[in-house]
Amino acid sequence: MEVSRRDFLKATAAAAAFAAAGGAVLKPKLAEAAEGGIKWGKAPCRFCGTGCGVLVGVKDGKVVATKGDPAAPVNKGLNCIKGYFLAKILYGKDRLTKPLIRKGNKMVEASWDEAMTLIAGKFKESIEKHGPDSVAIYGSGQWTVFEGYAASKLFKGGIGTNNIEPNARLCMASAVTGFMTTFASDEPMGVYDDLDLGDTYFLWGANMAECHPVLFSRMIDNRLKNPKVKIIDFGTRRTRTSQMADTYIRFNPQTDLALLNAIAHVIVKEKLYDEKFIQSHVVFKKGKTNIGYGLEDKFKFVDEPKPMTFDEYKDFLKTYTPEYASKLSGVPTATIVEMARLYADKNRKVNSLWTMGFNQHTRGTWVNNLVYNVHLLTGKICRPGENPMSLTGQPSACGTAREVGTFTHRLPADMVVTDPEHRAKAEKIWGIPAGKIPAKPTYNATEMFRALDRGDIKVIWTQVTNPFQSLPNLNRYRKGARKGDGRFVIVSDMYPTKSTEVADVILPSASWVEKEGVFGNAERRTQQWFKMVDPPGEAKNDLWQTIELAKRLGHGNLFPYKYVEKEMWEEYRKFGEGQGKDMAPYEAYAKARGLRWPVVNGKETLYRYAEGHDPYVKKGEGIKFYKNKKDGGKAVIWARPYEPAPEVPDKSYPFWLCTGRVLEHWHTGTMTGRVPELKRAYPAAVCEMHPDDAKKLGIKNLQKVKVSSRRGTIILPVDLNGRGKAEKGNIFVAFFDENKLINELCIDAYCPISGEPDYKKCAVKVEKA
Amino acid sequence: MDSESTHTGISRRRFLKDGILVPLALAVAGGGISTLFLRRADARGFYLRPPGALEERRFLAACIKCGKCAQACPYTAITMAGGEAGVGIGTPHIIAREFPCRLCPDIPCAKACPSGALDRKLEDVEKIRMGTAVIVDRENCLSLRGLRCEVCYRQCPLIDKAITIEPRHNPRTGVHSIMEPVIHADKCVGCGICENACVRDKPVIVVIKSPPVQKDYYEF
Repeated sequence: MEVSRRDFLKATAAAAAFAAAGGAVLKPKLAEAAEGGIKWGKAPCRFCGTGCGVLVGVKDGKVVATKGDPAAPVNKGLNCIKGYFLAKILYGKDRLTKPLIRKGNKMVEASWDEAMTLIAGKFKESIEKHGPDSVAIYGSGQWTVFEGYAASKLFKGGIGTNNIEPNARLCMASAVTGFMTTFASDEPMGVYDDLDLGDTYFLWGANMAECHPVLFSRMIDNRLKNPKVKIIDFGTRRTRTSQMADTYIRFNPQTDLALLNAIAHVIVKEKLYDEKFIQSHVVFKKGKTNIGYGLEDKFKFVDEPKPMTFDEYKDFLKTYTPEYASKLSGVPTATIVEMARLYADKNRKVNSLWTMGFNQHTRGTWVNNLVYNVHLLTGKICRPGENPMSLTGQPSACGTAREVGTFTHRLPADMVVTDPEHRAKAEKIWGIPAGKIPAKPTYNATEMFRALDRGDIKVIWTQVTNPFQSLPNLNRYRKGARKGDGRFVIVSDMYPTKSTEVADVILPSASWVEKEGVFGNAERRTQQWFKMVDPPGEAKNDLWQTIELAKRLGHGNLFPYKYVEKEMWEEYRKFGEGQGKDMAPYEAYAKARGLRWPVVNGKETLYRYAEGHDPYVKKGEGIKFYKNKKDGGKAVIWARPYEPAPEVPDKSYPFWLCTGRVLEHWHTGTMTGRVPELKRAYPAAVCEMHPDDAKKLGIKNLQKVKVSSRRGTIILPVDLNGRGKAEKGNIFVAFFDENKLINELCIDAYCPISGEPDYKKCAVKVEKA
Repeated sequence: MDSESTHTGISRRRFLKDGILVPLALAVAGGGISTLFLRRADARGFYLRPPGALEERRFLAACIKCGKCAQACPYTAITMAGGEAGVGIGTPHIIAREFPCRLCPDIPCAKACPSGALDRKLEDVEKIRMGTAVIVDRENCLSLRGLRCEVCYRQCPLIDKAITIEPRHNPRTGVHSIMEPVIHADKCVGCGICENACVRDKPVIVVIKSPPVQKDYYEF
């Protein structure tokens, strides 16, 4: 398709993209004239997985304002405080504007040609000497679809290595494997509308009040309107979410596995399950147990699913009496029974919502399976207002990492490299020789940086992420990057970070509306935006950077596009067509405030697997999990046991450490830390601790403490009465602060099935500093 | 830490300067003139005094302007007032927007006071009453416009006591709630952390002089 960007903009009336406040569509000229010469364009927010729509005000080549987009269905004109300051993330004083090359201990300015020649040379040399698996790219759930797609195509289809991973491995991988093992298709069946339509919300390990702020205010509004609405917060830390919930249920870390099995136990014992639903839509399976924790290098695990009957599953549940779960979890027996009955109440529309508490878990896949079990037993799934919903953390964890499939084992549209048919399909669409894509996955994110530390990976390129702040057991990987001996680290970013510190080459990147992009949010909504301003100095789009490397490695033919984004999109959507992962033509996204896939005949889908909603479900089928062909279109209830965490508090390290986010900051703070207002609002990380624990140690509020694990130590002030209230025996530290690298303390144990590390549990000690 | 000690250095220097000025001012001020000065100080507005300060007039009378409270403050929050304070020149105060009172559990500033201008016996930070926070500009408060800000609430050291969140329906979107920060004057200690943290260019929440307790018999 030979369409230039100019033609395209004309044809789709770029007008659609440049809408005035209030959502009315104006022609570009009019929009320009409006509001003091400020031109407004639409874009999704750059931060979390909620995917709020914003209007971006541009004047004199600069983003001068942003505001919530009233026409965006996700947020209807609202934002959180991070979204309010979006414009400012682009204009930090220390924006990177020129490529930098390490010369000794100094980073020296270089031209793009010099930098790319050096990088291409290192890639060629390493591939020649050590093979294609010695080079790697580590990307992001903040990659645009195009950036992720180009990286995957170059590495899997051009260089011929599966050495590609996104930081989403650290945040969403367990949700993916949960969806894949239960439904054989990634991403939720429900949508955000369920926040308005349901009446019972179980939150598991999700601090929605701070981490999905706009969605939280939507759920709270539902409760204001409907007195029947109940919000139950299961957690290990009393958060702002717990504060506003109707019920807060504190449990001991890791025992969510036992609690969910106990809830299933009660539902089965009291015959509260939906027999008809189970007969028509469910099969039962069990997998391996005692599956390890991925603590040793080159850890490998392959599950062996075995079918079981409902009766066998009932037998499995016998262990999980409320009494047993109560003993493990600390939750009263009566509460467990009450919660099971609430889940099963025929007069209630029940939703479960979860985030990192489930996903960053050494049994993350299992605990995702277990929450689906409860919804499948009770048949409360695939209906408006009652669904399990995994909330995502990044703006395109779904759109890029998961849908494009930028994991070592994945290809677009739920396909995997281990399947010869999937590889053949990808090779055909990509126009590359058969057999080019390697059949074996290589490393998950943690293993990728272990390989760099060992020297098995020599050249690594990171884009739109900050692994040298965000990896667990950080000390090992920071040291590993600087071990020399042919190791070469390339970091593309907009600002200096903890990762650029260890880089051999730093490439200055365009960000957000300095480039054209597509993100996909947590409710399957695909959102497009146009480039609105030029990046500063010589900063360039990561997409351009990747294609530039491809050209220099002789793979330029993989990217034969004139209008790169549009043509790449049309190629990419061939993967999902007819697979229940259908995307609309590019121009549809230029006009819409996002569309929820599958988009068939121009119509988006609200409820997957449900007749009348999902075009893939035939009349009379009601609900059909059609993606799980090998189980006859049924979903799987998994018998997954409770197994303890790899490192539990003991005499030497008596506290659990949990890490997470605060509302004011995003991830490692590289963007929000440059917004003076957000920095002022929350300047530095603190250690939340229970006042009784502090008293025992003679520690007063605000006093500095030394927190140590077997892997690292940091010193920071203690907060005994903050926004988050640690339970006894637990502490919490946010991970945004680059001066307090809490991830140095975290353990790099991961879920053997998903490969996602557990940032929520390790053993630490606390002393007066 | 470095910047903190520098700041303490500055206030100490300023204290020395003030130490010379103060006796001068006192010497000049006769009875009538001193009333004038006092009036001027009142008109200038409200001075956020360190924890445990006496009522303003008594505080002005008692404070010997020694600067010991400022020296004791680990957060450089207490500075000594300049000439604009009239008779209050050289007295300690807190500019919350710059450095608010962090409510140290052992209240070292009050403990350091030799004159009784600050209550040395004060033990419980929740009993401190420096002033009361108020949202003075509701139009510009982002939370009241439905945005998920509430920075003042989450940073409040007496969260859920001095400031609570009261959600109400947002008719503009129809599906969200406005999370209104509500200040409870009976619990607010006036530390100014909210004023400091507010994300607007001009803080919409500020600490003002606590309104007098009005006695009535209406219990409801």
